[in-house]
Amino acid sequence: MTALLEVEGLSKNFGGLQVSSDISMMLNAGDRCALIGPNGAGKTTFVNLVTGVIPPSAGTIRLDGRDVTTLSAAERVRLGLIRSFQVARLFKSMTVREHLELAVLQRDRRTFRLFANVAKVAGLADEVAGLLDSMGLTPVAHTAVGSLAYGQQRLLEIALALAMKPKVLILDEPAAGVPHSESQRILDAIDRLPKDLAVLMIEHDMDLVFRFARTIVVLAQGRLLCSGTAKEIVADPRVREVYLGSRADAH
Amino acid sequence: MTSVAERDGKGDGKAGRMTGRTPLAARRDLGWIGIPLVAAVGLAAFWLLPDDLALLTRIAASALFVLSLDLVLGYGGIATLGQAAMFGTGAYAAGIVAVNWNNDPFIMLAAGGLAGGLIALTTGALILHARGLTLLMLTIAVGQIVQEVANKARDWTGGSDGLSGIDPAPVLGMFRFDMYGRTSYLFALAVLVVGLLVARRIVRSPFGLACRGVSEDPLRISAIGGSPKSYLVVLYGVAGVFAGMAGALTAVTSGIVGLDSAGFPWSAEALVMLVLGGTGRLYGAVIGTAAFMGIHHILAASDPFHWMGFIGLFLIGIVLFLPGGIASGVERLGGLLRGPSQNNGEDRA
Ligand SMILES: Nc1ncnc2c1ncn2[C@@H]1O[C@H](COP(=O)(O)OP(=O)(O)OP(=O)(O)O)[C@@H](O)[C@H]1O
Ligand SMILES: [Mg+2]
Repeated sequence: MTALLEVEGLSKNFGGLQVSSDISMMLNAGDRCALIGPNGAGKTTFVNLVTGVIPPSAGTIRLDGRDVTTLSAAERVRLGLIRSFQVARLFKSMTVREHLELAVLQRDRRTFRLFANVAKVAGLADEVAGLLDSMGLTPVAHTAVGSLAYGQQRLLEIALALAMKPKVLILDEPAAGVPHSESQRILDAIDRLPKDLAVLMIEHDMDLVFRFARTIVVLAQGRLLCSGTAKEIVADPRVREVYLGSRADAH
Repeated sequence: MTSVAERDGKGDGKAGRMTGRTPLAARRDLGWIGIPLVAAVGLAAFWLLPDDLALLTRIAASALFVLSLDLVLGYGGIATLGQAAMFGTGAYAAGIVAVNWNNDPFIMLAAGGLAGGLIALTTGALILHARGLTLLMLTIAVGQIVQEVANKARDWTGGSDGLSGIDPAPVLGMFRFDMYGRTSYLFALAVLVVGLLVARRIVRSPFGLACRGVSEDPLRISAIGGSPKSYLVVLYGVAGVFAGMAGALTAVTSGIVGLDSAGFPWSAEALVMLVLGGTGRLYGAVIGTAAFMGIHHILAASDPFHWMGFIGLFLIGIVLFLPGGIASGVERLGGLLRGPSQNNGEDRA
């Protein structure tokens, strides 16, 4: 069986600063993997490299066996590699509903219909209603995102990623800025994802990490420090030192 | 055209909530009422101002042109000072077709739309990777090139003398273009209204939705798998069809086409009219054109030397006090009339 996502020797430097060095990892169908590491470890940069937002200095990325290193971000999305953004990145003047309509239409390549009425595209309304419901966004469906509470923007960010029907889903701190009561919703939604989907989640909240992840990868100063099951990671002294230690210092 | 809600994007949602503004395309084009209103006012003007039909005809044709600019700028966020390239191309195409082959007004419109769309698609594919100031320069350059080509191709276009002798056949073989300009005006008004209907259809389509996304955040469009540039090129092409038809409409109703129809001043004037009326609303283009050309007409008659200064002052006033253009003032007024409980976008299904 080929891995869904396979990263090999991925490196990136900004000028002299080595932000990612020689990272290799893979995700198989059904994986629930957490990527953790202190602030500035290079987690978001890793996501940007994998999804094609920035080009790597070295290394290869394979998606479902296919080398996608030189493909654009949009092409990778069309192959099923979807991410959510750490800071909600939405269209401020569009309503919640319009976001999901756009995502579904884009996924089905129906966005070049110039004379169709969005309200009448077959199947669209039902699917969007389902997505809204799954994230508890139905009451704000017609609200412009610019006037939405930040936590709800985060939920929409997740709903948008789910709307794309990903094969590999990368969530960059999906619960950051979401009230604790709402973060359960995000986990619930992730639980309901198709089992054969590979999910990589970046998260600082260790409660969430332990509830979600079967495997954990630790990144520190741009390097892969170690990886293993949740139990192994907690027991690993290097992790305590580098990650948990630095977190403790911060407080 | 940053709204307050856009600026306070992240952070606490409460501050944003109070500034929420009409978010839906459907609301921004006044829903179902805007276009019938244009038709009704247009018809009323036909009865009330029978001596000004020539002016009214020019307003209607120009409004179609400004509408094309609204598609590009208001819905695609493409800054351009070269929209007249498509207008001029359409006008010449219609004129050349009429003089040499077929003078049916609908054939002329089709020729103008086709020519405008083609030139927009080809030049758009070449220049729309650029953004901001670079793109602005490139659009100006395209306009200059079109004008220069028209100037050089004297045999076809009449060069700097202009293309004259365009004598359109009766509309549908029944309504002759009379010397009072009645047919001209009603024809222009009808084309404008149909243009508005089609434009509204497009901005409410999946394509229109995607274009609004591109204008706000192209990178986010890539992140859902779209290619921002292809949306912009197609939008530019569609707007080119509108601009080309506006040019053809001018050729039909005025009987002449000059080099200035593709010129930079005409592009810039269209931008002024659009900003005056309000971008991203469709009917703002009509309001802006009518206001600009109406004021021009009145002032140029009473004070031929200073009218441009008045327009300038007027524009400054609008930009300072009504940043969304006259149309946003109309919307605010409508909001006041409807009572204080609205304007959050939640009251519309
Ligand atoms: N475009 C860039 N140019 C230069 N340096 C950058 C750039 N992007 C990120 N960096 C640096 O790379 C390092 C890693 O940043 P990154 O955002 O990937 O960290 P992170 O692990 O996601 O942190 P956090 O937990 O705060 O989200 C930081 O020191 C950052 O300053
Ligand atoms: Mg980060």
